[in-house]
Amino acid sequence: MNALPRPSTIFLAAITTLVAVLLYSPLFVPIVSSFFTISQGNVDWSSPTLSTYAALAENHDILAALRTTLIVGVCTVILSVVSGTLLALYYHGRRSGRSFLQFIIFLPFLMPPIISGLALLIFFREIGLERSLLTVVIGHTVFVLAIVYRTVLMRLQSMSRTLVEASYDLGATGWQTFWRIILPNLSSAMVGGAILAFALSFDETMITILVTGTQSTLPVRLWAMMRLGFSPDINALVALILMFTVLLCVLAARFLIPRQMATERT
Amino acid sequence: MTENTDLLTLRSVSKSYGPVPVLHDIDLSIRDGEFLTVLGPSGSGKTTVLRLIGGLEPLTSGEIHLDGQDISRMPINRRPFNTVFQDYALFPHMTVSGNVGYGLSVRHVRRKEIARRVAEALELVQLGRFADRFPAQLSGGQRQRVALARALICQPRLILLDEPLAALDLELRRQMQEFLKSIQREIKTTFLFVTHDQEEAIGMADRICVMQAGHIRQLGTPHELYYKPNCEFVARFFGENNLVAGKLGPVQGEQRPIETALGRLVCSISGQPHLKAAADGASAFAAFRPEALHLANGEDSGNRFSGTIADLAFAGSSTVATITAGANGAAQRLRLRVPSRIDGSALKSGETVSLSFAPHEGHLVLA
Ligand SMILES: Nc1ncnc2c1ncn2[C@@H]1O[C@H](COP(=O)(O)OP(=O)(O)OP(=O)(O)O)[C@@H](O)[C@H]1O
Ligand SMILES: [Mg+2]
Repeated sequence: MNALPRPSTIFLAAITTLVAVLLYSPLFVPIVSSFFTISQGNVDWSSPTLSTYAALAENHDILAALRTTLIVGVCTVILSVVSGTLLALYYHGRRSGRSFLQFIIFLPFLMPPIISGLALLIFFREIGLERSLLTVVIGHTVFVLAIVYRTVLMRLQSMSRTLVEASYDLGATGWQTFWRIILPNLSSAMVGGAILAFALSFDETMITILVTGTQSTLPVRLWAMMRLGFSPDINALVALILMFTVLLCVLAARFLIPRQMATERT
Repeated sequence: MTENTDLLTLRSVSKSYGPVPVLHDIDLSIRDGEFLTVLGPSGSGKTTVLRLIGGLEPLTSGEIHLDGQDISRMPINRRPFNTVFQDYALFPHMTVSGNVGYGLSVRHVRRKEIARRVAEALELVQLGRFADRFPAQLSGGQRQRVALARALICQPRLILLDEPLAALDLELRRQMQEFLKSIQREIKTTFLFVTHDQEEAIGMADRICVMQAGHIRQLGTPHELYYKPNCEFVARFFGENNLVAGKLGPVQGEQRPIETALGRLVCSISGQPHLKAAADGASAFAAFRPEALHLANGEDSGNRFSGTIADLAFAGSSTVATITAGANGAAQRLRLRVPSRIDGSALKSGETVSLSFAPHEGHLVLA
């Protein structure tokens, strides 16, 4: 199998390890340091503690921001999954207008966020929509729609057209075919898309800053806190967010990687 | 009795995809209970015929009648036909029994009844043990049988199969051919079976419908197609054949001579009135099978010519000789099939031999 001679294998392994350490170790610093206190600007390594986490639980500003983020995330997910799926279903197999629609959907995702944010801001002002959580949700949905649309469309395209034909052929109505054949085959793509959408919404900062009203989401709050210097509970917060994000990614991967699930189940 | 009543009739059915005509004025009657095979080269429109009957595709013109009633506009989910798709189209998120029971459950059959009939259908295709597996956990042949059970369970009047065996290897194919045939005998349902494999067609069909370029060239039993092809295409497409071009001579009872580069060949025209009616001097082909051709001996009547053996190919029980015959300017390549002999064939490459075939073993096709 492995055609490489031994020394080069070892060399490759060393390089890979080094790169991995350089790339990923910064991620672990806040996690580790979140278990220690900081006094006079220096980390006190002598006694591990959970006090930073306790402090975080006391910080009502941050907790409020977290709640806002979750509300925005959930609303964004619902909106983007429903509309992304509908768009994908509508445009699947349709030639005319599809590339134009895709262009429109992908534009906000590809453009620099500050441009999308400004465009939305101007738009909201023109139609007289007050800046609020609603505008944030709309902004996030516009931003993440591309991901959901793309994920669902790809699943639709990989789904054999004969599945739908077979369903009709066996006597099912259009409605039955949708609920019993199309939707179950899309569901894992929809869940995967939803998780990605949530993760994107969770740490979206630029657009949020521009279109939000008085309430701020977690990243915006962090941004503001950082200007005032670090406090130890930020480490705890970052550690929590990191763990949460990793969890989301693992989940997303599970739903999006084509399923051999049936085979692996036994 | 039921054998001869028509179940389904296509009346001058045409189909175009956009501006491209794919089927031209097809007329076809499918008899109740028969195993009808649609045979033709790739792109001849076989799948299209199946999709039109199944209702997966609208007709461009013409009508389809079921028991004498026009069903051309009946939606696909109300037609009493079921299809076995080439890629099986099993629902990946449902178990085998979920797949097989789907046709009943969308019709709101009671759960108990579904369970009973699913078990029955799986028994019929010998998959009882696999009821709780997912399609991804089955072999190709097993998936095939699930697809069949799923189509059978709705008790359709007609089962449409689009090259269902194409994806299987040779051995499995043979088994499935027998299996399909035995199931068809057991449930006495009409099968419309598409294939481009003529051996498969000959082995399974009660009747074969040969298609080419969107036309039906001939419809008949395998025997009829083999011995009485009605056109050059069928004569060449269906089995090995020798075709020699020439001009028809005057009718002599049930036979008719044809003047060819190999001389005057007399062929049978019995039971083929259109050959009797053709004008003298009309272009036609004399057609005779490699196994009808033999080395001439003293008693042969007519249809004698000489040729040179260009090549010999051993094919197990028989040996096929490629022969060049006729005058230099109009040399014909012919095939001769003789039983193989253990001490090597009596034929030698490069040898000049005298050949003949009996008039009743030759036939004519109009050019
Ligand atoms: N959806 C379509 N749009 C346009 N042309 C089509 C479509 N489906 C089939 N055709 C054309 O119609 C002709 C007949 O196709 P069909 O699939 O019926 O052939 P077939 O006999 O089943 O061939 P094969 O043995 O390769 O399956 C082909 O020339 C094909 O290119
Ligand atoms: Mg085909």
